[in-house]
Amino acid sequence: MNRHSPTRRAAFVLAMSAAVALVATGCSPAATNSAIDATAPAKLTGTVSFWHFFSDREAKVVQSVVDDFEKANPGVKVDVHSGQDDEKLQKAIAAGNSVDVGLSYSTDIVGNFCSSGAFRDLGPYITRDKVDLTQFSTTVRSYTEYKGTRCSMPVLADDYGLYYNKKLLASAGYSEPPRTLSELEKMAIALTTYNADGSIKTLGFNPMMGFYENAASHLGPLAGATWLKKNGNSAIGGDAAWTELMTWQKGFIDAIGYDKVNAFTSGLGQEFSADNAFQTGQVAMNLDGEYRTAFIDDQTPNLEYGTAPLPTADDHTELYGGGYITGNIAGISKGAKNPEAAWALLKYLTTDTGAIVKLSNGLKNVPTTSAALASPDLEVTPQFKTFLDIAANEHSGTTPPSPVGAGYQQSFEDYWHKYQSGSGTGLAAGLAKVDKDIDASIALTAGP
Amino acid sequence: MLAPAILGLLIFFVYPLIASVYYSFTRFDLVSAPQWIGLRNYAYLFTQDPNVWQAAGNTLWFVVILVPVRILTALGVAWLLVRAKQASGFWRTLFYLPALVPPVAAVVAFVFLFNPGTGPVNLILKAIGIHGPLWFNDPAWSKPSLLLLGVWVMGDVMIIFLASLLDVPQELYEAASLDGAKSWQKGWYVTLPAIVPVLVFSVVTGVIAALQYFTEAAVASSVASGRATVGEGGGATIGYPDNSLLTYTEWLYVRGFSNYQLGYASALAVVLFAVASVVLLVLLRRVRAFTPEEAS
Amino acid sequence: MTVVAAPRSRRRVLAWIGEHAILVAIGVLFIAPIAFVFLTSLMSNKQALTASLIPTTWHWENYVRVFQTVPLGQWFGNSALYAVLATGFMLVSSVPAAYALARIRFRGSGVLFLCIIVAMLLPPQVTAIPIYVMWSQLHLTGTLWPLILPNLLGDAFSIFLLRQFFLTIPKEYADAARIDGCSEWAVLLRVIVPMARPGIAAAGLFMFFNSWNDYYGPLLYTSENPAAWPVAYGLASFRSVHGTDWSITMTMTILVLVPVVIIFFFAQKIFVEGITLTGVKG
Repeated sequence: MNRHSPTRRAAFVLAMSAAVALVATGCSPAATNSAIDATAPAKLTGTVSFWHFFSDREAKVVQSVVDDFEKANPGVKVDVHSGQDDEKLQKAIAAGNSVDVGLSYSTDIVGNFCSSGAFRDLGPYITRDKVDLTQFSTTVRSYTEYKGTRCSMPVLADDYGLYYNKKLLASAGYSEPPRTLSELEKMAIALTTYNADGSIKTLGFNPMMGFYENAASHLGPLAGATWLKKNGNSAIGGDAAWTELMTWQKGFIDAIGYDKVNAFTSGLGQEFSADNAFQTGQVAMNLDGEYRTAFIDDQTPNLEYGTAPLPTADDHTELYGGGYITGNIAGISKGAKNPEAAWALLKYLTTDTGAIVKLSNGLKNVPTTSAALASPDLEVTPQFKTFLDIAANEHSGTTPPSPVGAGYQQSFEDYWHKYQSGSGTGLAAGLAKVDKDIDASIALTAGP
Repeated sequence: MLAPAILGLLIFFVYPLIASVYYSFTRFDLVSAPQWIGLRNYAYLFTQDPNVWQAAGNTLWFVVILVPVRILTALGVAWLLVRAKQASGFWRTLFYLPALVPPVAAVVAFVFLFNPGTGPVNLILKAIGIHGPLWFNDPAWSKPSLLLLGVWVMGDVMIIFLASLLDVPQELYEAASLDGAKSWQKGWYVTLPAIVPVLVFSVVTGVIAALQYFTEAAVASSVASGRATVGEGGGATIGYPDNSLLTYTEWLYVRGFSNYQLGYASALAVVLFAVASVVLLVLLRRVRAFTPEEAS
Repeated sequence: MTVVAAPRSRRRVLAWIGEHAILVAIGVLFIAPIAFVFLTSLMSNKQALTASLIPTTWHWENYVRVFQTVPLGQWFGNSALYAVLATGFMLVSSVPAAYALARIRFRGSGVLFLCIIVAMLLPPQVTAIPIYVMWSQLHLTGTLWPLILPNLLGDAFSIFLLRQFFLTIPKEYADAARIDGCSEWAVLLRVIVPMARPGIAAAGLFMFFNSWNDYYGPLLYTSENPAAWPVAYGLASFRSVHGTDWSITMTMTILVLVPVVIIFFFAQKIFVEGITLTGVKG
């Protein structure tokens, strides 16, 4: 027998590489999903550390549901860390600080957290406990998993629409909100008032990118714009819808004057304070999420306002009724000390109808399960109803997950900000550069 | 006596330097172990990173504009105080006071004062008929706005100049007067040589500080953007407006601790180390206090 | 004589007036920001969002309200803890090291000094990542300890500053003590430290102020744990996290400023000497 047969050599190499691979993965602490108990424990004990981003009034709502969970599971104590944004959550998980359940405001981290292993694969728990995933809509299901790995569950959804001040619209002779972007612009300019020195007193609609919720992701669905290609690379530059939206937005801002809008914007109150410019009447129409209805109820209950889907691009009126959907998502961290209790809390927050309805009524967020949506306990005002309809609309969509999280949106918006101020280069060249930057960044993070 | 300090240098200086170099060749997100990717990070840094050049340019702006302007203002005020024989007491304290203000507080205050819509500065400018710029909200004005802040807090540099101006022996001036020197000649031939060491010192420390310029720019961006970063995190506002305040060290922070690309951020750190070392080598020889000769 | 002297003195008077006029003008510019911040701190939130300079009604309760909005007492406590411990630890470790570098001959002292200078001057961001990884493996991120503990092993800038000061103390004092049979530690503690009190105080004050004002460190290590925030970091995050508006932000700005100013007025002389020492002597 030939001692150095090619097959034997190949086998040796394979064995060696397998050994190296084993050692390599053995070093990394990713091997946490391996074994879970065959049945859910009958009685849960211990402490669950629960990190979420809500603060102030909203944190109290979340706390009330956590209290219910503790009451139902007397052995479990939930240690709540509120006000934790994505950066901090990631920091804490990476540094191995005791995070059991992490709740993020945005679906953008799912790609990153699933692929890096910062959030565990929930598949085994879902199979074991026979959680029915069809109670979530397809959009919601799609944004809580990444490349087939379900590492997060949806905790309510957010979607975006148009808020309008009824009194201000009526005084300018309007009774209906705009349905197309050019109507929006026309109405906005008619609704804008000026001070004696020429500075803006009130704006019909603030077109400034970066103002409150004005973001590329929220505008994209208005023209059916796409972000990433099938192969994961940027689709922005090649999509005429973005060019259309950007050209419209820049034309709008120039019609009033960039500097004037900028000066006006910098003098406005904080988005989540009672001095929010829509709530004070400084802007007559505003792009915002459904949660604003709760802020208005709490801070300026006398405001007469209506809500509607966002107007669409003039040549995409068929998309009217849809909008951007995203959601709060939650997962169990890699280093969770008490995964069973963490899973129980997660399951409670995301699938228990009572809990979801209570959260939804308090936060005025859109419920994500069909049972909660149909629940008679769900409080639905006419303004809030708009957002339930947007969530159910077939034209609504979300941003795709990627290994760089929201990095690709950031790259695009960086350019959009330059473009709106007039300092960006030609649009086509600028967007081609954006594509290149995004592709390079994705390759650096996830390339071979 | 030196053991703790040597240990400190090893743990918090020598080891991290070496480790930074190692990490710079890896893909590392702290969640899983570093993965060797060779020169990828450097290739990306020099050829593909969309913001690194702008960030380096902004940092350079602070080095070549902020540092000299601060020093000249400090020197000017110190000179004025000495001439007016007010080198101690009330006036010195007054001009020094802003330097005491914690940087974060100073920035928050300035962004408020220079708010284009409602801030006192533009209000006063308007009263005298000037249409004020957008300051921290305009990419063209954001760095000059921070320059004004830098000038406001020039007190520490001024104190050093005051001491050295007062140290110039009075006899030298008298001798120069006897020789018929005009006042500018006295300044050039008597004062300047006497304060050169201090001038060099303040340039060196100023450049070093400017290379790591972070707090003022980061806080200014965050406050001026007015964005509620609930949920997103501070990295979202860094650089506002239009990356005009994005400094090199901020970019390093964003890549490292906001995007969690610690390997790539280490590559940025290694490049910063190389640049800073060159600057140090060039400048260090000129500062007597930094050379060890005097020890024994 | 008098004909010549009169314009001379008149010119001097004019110069005096001119110089003081400039001083007053610059002085007003320097004090105005603090004055406006103070005035705004007493406005209502609504008024602070309008173009106005002076409060229409004086809202002194803002100074109470700010404590109810955020855990300001806790943040002040954290700042105090950070600043006091960092300063104490630094002194314990750096005074002996500085003395050894200034007054003891040994091989490699030049190299060591150079290392300290470089460590002092290099941007901290260069070494931040591995140090962060280190502390995260010790599970100490989310606290202020990664910023406090390293001072037990010396602080480069303080060692440098203290060494500069020790060099100004004539060698003869130490030599005399050595002849009397004192050990180096005894020389340091009995002879040098008492004589170097102003220098040590200056180094301590710098450390205290640097820790009190620190933003980058707490951003890196404590951002995910509001309970550990020092007040400077809390102020920076205040507006974006709590959606608060200007008046109360200005209230907090004044509150952050006050302790520093009070300490300065008690220790002005030490402070000015310390600053001068870094730049002029040596």
